[in-house]
Amino acid sequence: MARIELSGIQKKWGAVWGVRDVNIDIADQEFVVFLGPSGCGKTTTMRMIAGLEEPSEGEIRMDGEVMNEVEPRDRDVAMVFQGYALYPNMTIYENIRFPLRMRGVPRAEQDRLVRRAAELVELGGYLDRKPAALSGGQRQRAALGRAIVRQPQVFLMDEPLSNLDAQLRQAMRVQIKHLQRQLKITTVYVTHDQIEAMTLADRIVVMQGGMIQQIGTPDQIYSDPANTFVAGFIGAPPMNLIEGAVSGGVFRASGIEVGGVAVSGDRPVTLGVRPEDCHVGQGEPHLRGAVYGVEPTGEATYLTLKAGEKLIEVKAMRAYRAALGITEAVAFDRARLYFFDVETGQRIG
Amino acid sequence: MAEVRRRRKRESRVLRYVVLGGWALFCLAPVLWFLSIGLRPRTEIITPQPIYLPTFSLDAWRMIWSDWPMGAYLRNSVLAIAGSVVISVSLAIPAAYSLSRYRYRFREDIGFYILSTRMMAPAIVAIPIFFLFRNMGLLDTIWALMLIYAAINLSLVTWIIRSYMLDIPPELEDAARTDGASDLRILWEIIIPACLPGIITAAVIAAIFAINEFLFTLLIASTSSAYTMSVALANFTGGSDGVIYNAIALVAFIAFVPVFLVVVAIQKHLSRGLTMGAVKG
Repeated sequence: MARIELSGIQKKWGAVWGVRDVNIDIADQEFVVFLGPSGCGKTTTMRMIAGLEEPSEGEIRMDGEVMNEVEPRDRDVAMVFQGYALYPNMTIYENIRFPLRMRGVPRAEQDRLVRRAAELVELGGYLDRKPAALSGGQRQRAALGRAIVRQPQVFLMDEPLSNLDAQLRQAMRVQIKHLQRQLKITTVYVTHDQIEAMTLADRIVVMQGGMIQQIGTPDQIYSDPANTFVAGFIGAPPMNLIEGAVSGGVFRASGIEVGGVAVSGDRPVTLGVRPEDCHVGQGEPHLRGAVYGVEPTGEATYLTLKAGEKLIEVKAMRAYRAALGITEAVAFDRARLYFFDVETGQRIG
Repeated sequence: MAEVRRRRKRESRVLRYVVLGGWALFCLAPVLWFLSIGLRPRTEIITPQPIYLPTFSLDAWRMIWSDWPMGAYLRNSVLAIAGSVVISVSLAIPAAYSLSRYRYRFREDIGFYILSTRMMAPAIVAIPIFFLFRNMGLLDTIWALMLIYAAINLSLVTWIIRSYMLDIPPELEDAARTDGASDLRILWEIIIPACLPGIITAAVIAAIFAINEFLFTLLIASTSSAYTMSVALANFTGGSDGVIYNAIALVAFIAFVPVFLVVVAIQKHLSRGLTMGAVKG
């Protein structure tokens, strides 16, 4: 079990920045998810923790010990990869046994540990098969089995579920969370899927352009976004971001007027409002727009309104239906409005 | 409608087999012709009139085994080829691993340099190599043949194995590294097994090139202690007996059969090895 500290971590390839000034303290037994779009530096950061990449600057510590110069095999981390990375020439038994063999665990002990790990990931009946003879979900479980077999100090998981279909992904998510809680091992998990991040993490680290945008619990990240990137990245459908201006405590944009805004001065701002915080035909309206699209999903209906040139997504009741082009009035939940600086994107209210 | 479609499908399949069968016969005709020459008396082969009912004869078979040291030629061929394949594959594996995985300055240039040795006309180095082996006291030995075949094939073998190694996901090595394996362990336990088809393909291609090698063998070998099958063939073309066509045909057939069988066995992999470079650099 281990605490991981990243201080001032930078990674540069020539003139290209991979990761810039990453600072984070991951507590023992914590489940931390690095979330961001492709190329945001999340996998590079994880690879630096694993020792597969060397930081250009900064320090990586595990339980207080500087790890920068330590070889991956001496870091006591186990990694699960997006493409499973099972050794194709070995059976599942040999795959799970491999880390034990490399570390000189006695033979009898190896067998006991392999069988226990296989039971934990429900692969006891598949030990004599080669990876090619397993389904995607079984291969991912085998990769998990190989990671947990020697009870490492740290689990590193690099988009381990992205090759699976939606149903299997959900089942595996539950299994990963259960295993992590059961084994109490510090876990760093990389994904671009916000649902995975929200459901798995104790804390989420949102990254973009090689930099950390926000660190917080899933609730904090969702309810209290630090900037327009985080606000727009978390949530499906994402938060509506509407550029307008505040004057005398009133926010105005095309088709939108919200009074009593707690933003000082007269200035251009970006208003953020989540689709579920918009209410069609209830209370005093803040937005009037023409119906542009109606998308029933079963559990709700998503309505797209056109206000000026801006399209705004609104979550309506599941039975809601409307003809295209009619004007709808929408009230916002005033307690859940976010205001951001237009220039910097940082939250100002 | 369905009946018409089924009939057309059947017809097109028959046509396909007829075309492929014809093509196969066309390709195999020289081999069958060789066999037919090898199993007929010498007089019958050189007669200008066509013979519609050939006489079966094992004269050539008896002659190559009694008048010529065929056993020694075969042994020399097998030893020189096997030795050269072992040497070239053993050297090519670490070279290919380095070229496919490690990042260092001039890596691509080194790769190209290795391949460029293949672009040189062999005759250019023939004389220096003759003196080199003479000074080393290796003329007319199988050891010299092993070394020269290995040297000739090393670049090709390296590039074929490298192309297979490039296809192995780097994640496999990352996984092994975090699992606790050293670089050598990774090469031995993960990389080599994962690209075994490539290694076998490269070995077979090297063996085929070695079997057909003539120039350097002729240069280095001067007696039956180093003559291989390819040079032995040339021995049937001179001297007071003239050109002994049936013996040549039979020896060529004997040299052909094992290679043919191996190629058939691994043809799936071989086609990839031979097209290497067509789709990737």
